[in-house]
Amino acid sequence: MDRTQCCVQLSVQPSRALVDERFVILVEKAPPGFQLSVRALHQCEDGHSWEAFGHYISDATGTVNVSQDLSLGGTYSGVEAMGLLCSLRPVPGSKPGLRMRKKDVQAPMMVTISVYQGHQVEGFVDQVPLASVVVERWYVAPGVRRIPITDHGLTGTLFLPPGPGPFPAVLDLWGGGGQLVEYRAALLASHGFAALALDYLTAKVIRETGKMVEDQYFETAYKELQKHPQIVSSRIAMIGLSFGTTMTLKMAIYSKVVKLRCAVCISGSHVQPIEKSVEEILSSFNDRADKTRINEENQVIWRDLLLPIPTDPSLKADVGSLQCPLLLVVGEDDQNWPTKESAEDIQEMMERAGNSHLLTVLSYPDTGHLIEPPYSSHTRTSNFKPVGTNQKVTVLWGGQMAAHARAQEDAWKKMLAFLRENLYGGRKASAATQSNL
Amino acid sequence: MFKAWMPVRKILHFTDVKMISYLHVRHHLAGLQPPAGKNIATLPVCRSSSSVKQAPLLTAAPVRALIDDQISITARFLPPSSPVTVCTRMHSEDGDLWEAFAHYNTDTSGTVNLTSDPSAGGSYLGCEPMGLFWGLQPAPGGREGLRLRKRNVQTPYVVRISLLEGHVSPCMRDISELAAVTTERWYMAPGVRRSDIRQNGVVGSLFLPPGPGPYPALLDLWGMGGGLVEYRSALLASRGYASLSVAYIGHKDLPPPQNRLNVGDEYFKAAFKLLQDHCEVDADRIGIFGLSFGVFLSLRIATQLGLNPSCLILVNGPVGSTVALPDMEDHFLTFEKSQEYWTYDKQGNVIFKDVSLPSNIAPERKAKVENINCPVMYIVGEDDLSSSSKENADVIEETLRSAGKSQLFTRLSYPGAGHLIEPPYSPNARVSFWSIKPEKLMTVWGGHPAPHAAAQEDAWKKVLKFMESHLRR
Repeated sequence: MDRTQCCVQLSVQPSRALVDERFVILVEKAPPGFQLSVRALHQCEDGHSWEAFGHYISDATGTVNVSQDLSLGGTYSGVEAMGLLCSLRPVPGSKPGLRMRKKDVQAPMMVTISVYQGHQVEGFVDQVPLASVVVERWYVAPGVRRIPITDHGLTGTLFLPPGPGPFPAVLDLWGGGGQLVEYRAALLASHGFAALALDYLTAKVIRETGKMVEDQYFETAYKELQKHPQIVSSRIAMIGLSFGTTMTLKMAIYSKVVKLRCAVCISGSHVQPIEKSVEEILSSFNDRADKTRINEENQVIWRDLLLPIPTDPSLKADVGSLQCPLLLVVGEDDQNWPTKESAEDIQEMMERAGNSHLLTVLSYPDTGHLIEPPYSSHTRTSNFKPVGTNQKVTVLWGGQMAAHARAQEDAWKKMLAFLRENLYGGRKASAATQSNL
Repeated sequence: MFKAWMPVRKILHFTDVKMISYLHVRHHLAGLQPPAGKNIATLPVCRSSSSVKQAPLLTAAPVRALIDDQISITARFLPPSSPVTVCTRMHSEDGDLWEAFAHYNTDTSGTVNLTSDPSAGGSYLGCEPMGLFWGLQPAPGGREGLRLRKRNVQTPYVVRISLLEGHVSPCMRDISELAAVTTERWYMAPGVRRSDIRQNGVVGSLFLPPGPGPYPALLDLWGMGGGLVEYRSALLASRGYASLSVAYIGHKDLPPPQNRLNVGDEYFKAAFKLLQDHCEVDADRIGIFGLSFGVFLSLRIATQLGLNPSCLILVNGPVGSTVALPDMEDHFLTFEKSQEYWTYDKQGNVIFKDVSLPSNIAPERKAKVENINCPVMYIVGEDDLSSSSKENADVIEETLRSAGKSQLFTRLSYPGAGHLIEPPYSPNARVSFWSIKPEKLMTVWGGHPAPHAAAQEDAWKKVLKFMESHLRR
């Protein structure tokens, strides 16, 4: 092996981090002006391999700093410190339509980062890298406790931060795919919030009775949080993505039981028939299925189902009567829900009602539907089976990788600040001030 | 000779301004158990029934760190200008409880930041971002003569950081724990590979960085305390160097008896060659890291065995030996034979310093320093009571100067630092057990907490840079 090449040094700091923490990748002691590829490889829990790579040229000192230098090509380009994670994609030959989602949040995501000679696009697996390191990416901080919640017919998982508490809490809802998705709640607990991830579409009680849950299900979850000795009953928030937004607004505005300190609605809409059950709301969406669009790649676009935004007040949640701060996170390229149009209408409704001081909108160009914790691989399309159907389709979620990745990072930071300010700060609930965000 | 200890603990500070003495109280700590994976010491939570006040927010970053990484600790959403105590607690592998604490005052926004705020008292004074780690001491009421050393480097130290109300000390009763976080401190980065070495008679542990190599390497030698000490090698591998820690006394796999030095030149040559011959090691880039008696061994390997290390890192050790190596003479000597040079402090603890005074070492047992051909970094703890480090550094420096090789020599000298200059942010043991048979004997290593900690931090940075220069160019 060439003497100079064997001296190439690679460091990734930190080597153990939470998934929302940045790392710095440094390649050193390469020959100056040397072409090299930096590659990430991850095998996820279902056995699929994902990779990402960037093409670099070392500077006069033989150094590449991924946080500062341009990737000239690969799965990402430009200056992207976290590009190797954001652009992870299934290796060639994988099943189409995959999406990376962590199931076991108590084990880390292991990523191997390597340096190869030259600007390679394939065949990494057959080569010996010049250098290689392993990093661990964690959804939980040490000491976070995971508690399955099965009482009172609930299907959920509670994550508690370490320490005596009592803690403010967040009820965490995902969208129309159902299942019990834990990773965001686990991460929130790693930041000091008790968090209850709740399955409300494929919960045990639904599978057993064949019936969708009612408002009472969410109210029971809320009351379970209130009752918990390590949770402050007056400091509970809700965070919902996609259909989870529909449920969050429903509870925040109409429930007599649920009194939120604040709410975060990601990639969702306020359009819903009011005072209706969950089942009826889902039906009302299904009734508009004829507005589904299929593009040339056979990908399903559902954003038109709720368009145009109705003017009839009985068809949208009355955001004008909201009494707690609301943070909306909008991907302007959301192809799944009309998030942008909904946000505009929400803004208008709240201005008319005089409570727009409670509203903060984070709107991101070229950002799609799946606005997830930062540095997770961007999924523009994937296979999807909506609850209550047997069809698996390929859905277009939207978003351009670099912009979407930046949006995830920025939104997460601001979401945490919003939650901290409203759940940890002040005696009175207050809208996040611009200076804090 | 050996007096019983009074069960009173003192926390001594570098400036010796404050002394806080504890009563000898038993700990009634809820949930306190010897470590079994993830058990962490918890404090008695004594909250009045009326206080359902929300917890403030305590954060530590990173929560999983390498031993030589700094951890930032902040507390927010506390009342403004209020007294708080931040404390750390952890269990050693033997089940002993170690703790540290410091007193802070929140600013006008109700925040404390240990990276920038000064401690007003406790285990350390002033602004010490890592004071809660290097200031760890055995908890009052625990066993005496302890030294914190990680045996299993594949698991982390789990340290609980707590925020307490007021300026208190952790062992008091009726204290209110406001918040807590858990941190892990690792000697090994992910992907580092550890293997047992029992080859060619060599007893050691090899640590390899992740990746294909080849890597620059270190032979890692400790002192007469014996055994196989892995943590420095694990950390070096985590920083990109293959590292072989070698046992030479006090290990069951070495030729018996354990209290004698039964291996000599051939043994150390075999160890060095093991690295040279390893397919993942760059044979032209091997250095030697020696502490205490390991310094003499490093010098001998570099000058007597026909080997060419790329550099030597020497910490607080002698240029020669009062103990004969088997290859040197026919008869063997144990370390105990050097007793004529042992002295004792008022508590009856043994001080070994004079054993390694150059004037007490026979000339034929001194390494031929003039034959060194590689850069040498010598680290002196000026309060070293176990070894005459300064005097030995002087001899090495003078010998090299006379041989026209002064450009090879670098000295780092640290006032207030003791013998055990180890990787940073670990507590120093000023005194600890040397042996328990035939009778309990404790030895004085020297060093005061704050300057010793500063020395460890600074020395490690400089050692890494030194290795960078001489093992990677």
